[in-house]
Amino acid sequence: MKAKDIALNGLFRQNPTLKLVLGTCPTLALTTLAMNGIGMGLAVTFVLTCSNIIISLLRNVIPSKVRIPAYILIIATFVTVIRMVLNKFLPDIAASLGTYLPLIVVNCIILGRAEAFASKNPVLASCLDGIFMGLGFMAALTLMGAFREFFGSGTLFGLKVMDFSIGFFVQPAGALFTYAVFIALYSLIFMAVTNRKKAPKTQTAPTTEKEVNGNA
Amino acid sequence: MEKLLISNTPHVRGKATTRRIMIDVMIALLPATVAGIVFFGWRAALTIVLALISAVASEVVFRLVKKESVKSIIKKYDFTSSVTGLLLGINLGSQSPWYTPILGSVFAIIVVKMLFGGTGKNFVNPAICGRVFLVMSFGAAVGSGWLEPSIPAFLPTESGNLSLLDLLIGTGVAGSIGETSKICLIIGGIYLVVRGVIDWKYPTIYILVTGLTLSIFKLDFSLFLPSILSGGLVLGAIFMATDYVTTPNTMTGNIVYFTALGILTGIFRAVSGGEAVSYCILLMNFTVPLIDRFIVPKPFGYIKPEKPKAAKEGKNG
Repeated sequence: MKAKDIALNGLFRQNPTLKLVLGTCPTLALTTLAMNGIGMGLAVTFVLTCSNIIISLLRNVIPSKVRIPAYILIIATFVTVIRMVLNKFLPDIAASLGTYLPLIVVNCIILGRAEAFASKNPVLASCLDGIFMGLGFMAALTLMGAFREFFGSGTLFGLKVMDFSIGFFVQPAGALFTYAVFIALYSLIFMAVTNRKKAPKTQTAPTTEKEVNGNA
Repeated sequence: MEKLLISNTPHVRGKATTRRIMIDVMIALLPATVAGIVFFGWRAALTIVLALISAVASEVVFRLVKKESVKSIIKKYDFTSSVTGLLLGINLGSQSPWYTPILGSVFAIIVVKMLFGGTGKNFVNPAICGRVFLVMSFGAAVGSGWLEPSIPAFLPTESGNLSLLDLLIGTGVAGSIGETSKICLIIGGIYLVVRGVIDWKYPTIYILVTGLTLSIFKLDFSLFLPSILSGGLVLGAIFMATDYVTTPNTMTGNIVYFTALGILTGIFRAVSGGEAVSYCILLMNFTVPLIDRFIVPKPFGYIKPEKPKAAKEGKNG
């Protein structure tokens, strides 16, 4: 039950990109291609999971006054690892992520989850939180990337889909526009889901109100 | 006593409604539109009609999606979408592909105007935004028509081949459909001033400051007249920058706004060598809330409060 909650929080209910609006810098800069979303998402998932595990293990050892430098040190270690691995084995992805790969160190999602979750919860829960928050980030980035790639360059994951393209969507202004559209769509779905869950309560309330009004 | 009518303010109402003002603006745009169609041919007419129809259709569809009844849409229709569509149409090149006016109008009306709350709530001018959207997206495709009759006239250094009279009337001048014939635009502007829709001071300030800034920047005052008579400056100054929604509320604020706009346009033109009017207006539109925040109109009969020190002395005396 707890694990299901953590998974749902990461993927949907507290989606880091669309609900918490964290890590906007790579979101805006890298979503020109859907492939970038997957690469960045996997890198962040790896760093987030590992740093959550270590921080959760050390949560009773790290003094609260110096916790931020300690977290940054742990995060930077794993960012260096993933950077070296990507540069060695997947140089194409490393090149397309560019400067945003080392910048994962200061990504708010990782520091935010360390502060809000890993420093207060046991290891297994923190590990799951890292995995699903990372996957939620990856899903949002990939969807946004696919949208922008489709309309902006007429391709999808590098494959040609149509000849027509609107250059606006691959430019910075298009990034902000796409982000706004996605947050709006997310809120729409979020409200629909939460309303459906509360449906029995909300459905009965108006009818009684109407009856009262009718009687009055 | 029974004969006295008691009502709330305002007691005296003007005749100006949004609908009347917008129809005036469309009438004022007519000469320039006709001139554009004469100069550039049937493709120009097609572009304008497509932009106009799709702008109106976008608003109607948006309102239908919001479950408004057809009756109320017709009753509440205030012609702002028509003006936006027409402005966008004459802001495009005559050879731009058929889908560009449609996409631009849909973006201008749905995203810039309706999503922010409709008429009077858009934070930037929809037509300008639609044009910038198109230039960003299809730069080459939209721009290709601009070079059609001859050289690009918005480059002050290259407009030397054309006489000032050519620039004024628009014969043989390249540009978007509506911006080439300055005399027609000025006639439209005079009509708007006579009808009391716009104030003659503000477009004049904008145009003169732009010419002056460019001349000072390039240290060549012979550029003054060609630069203000070329490109989209007159169109932008009279019809785009004076949009009520995206200008400050006070006279002082407006003077600050149009002066800054002129300086910005002059510098952008001098440095980039290209046309910058639409980008400058878009940029300055964002500063309007800021200007209104700091330049607040004085209430009628307002007396500056005396300094506390002076008041104290008065009491003692």
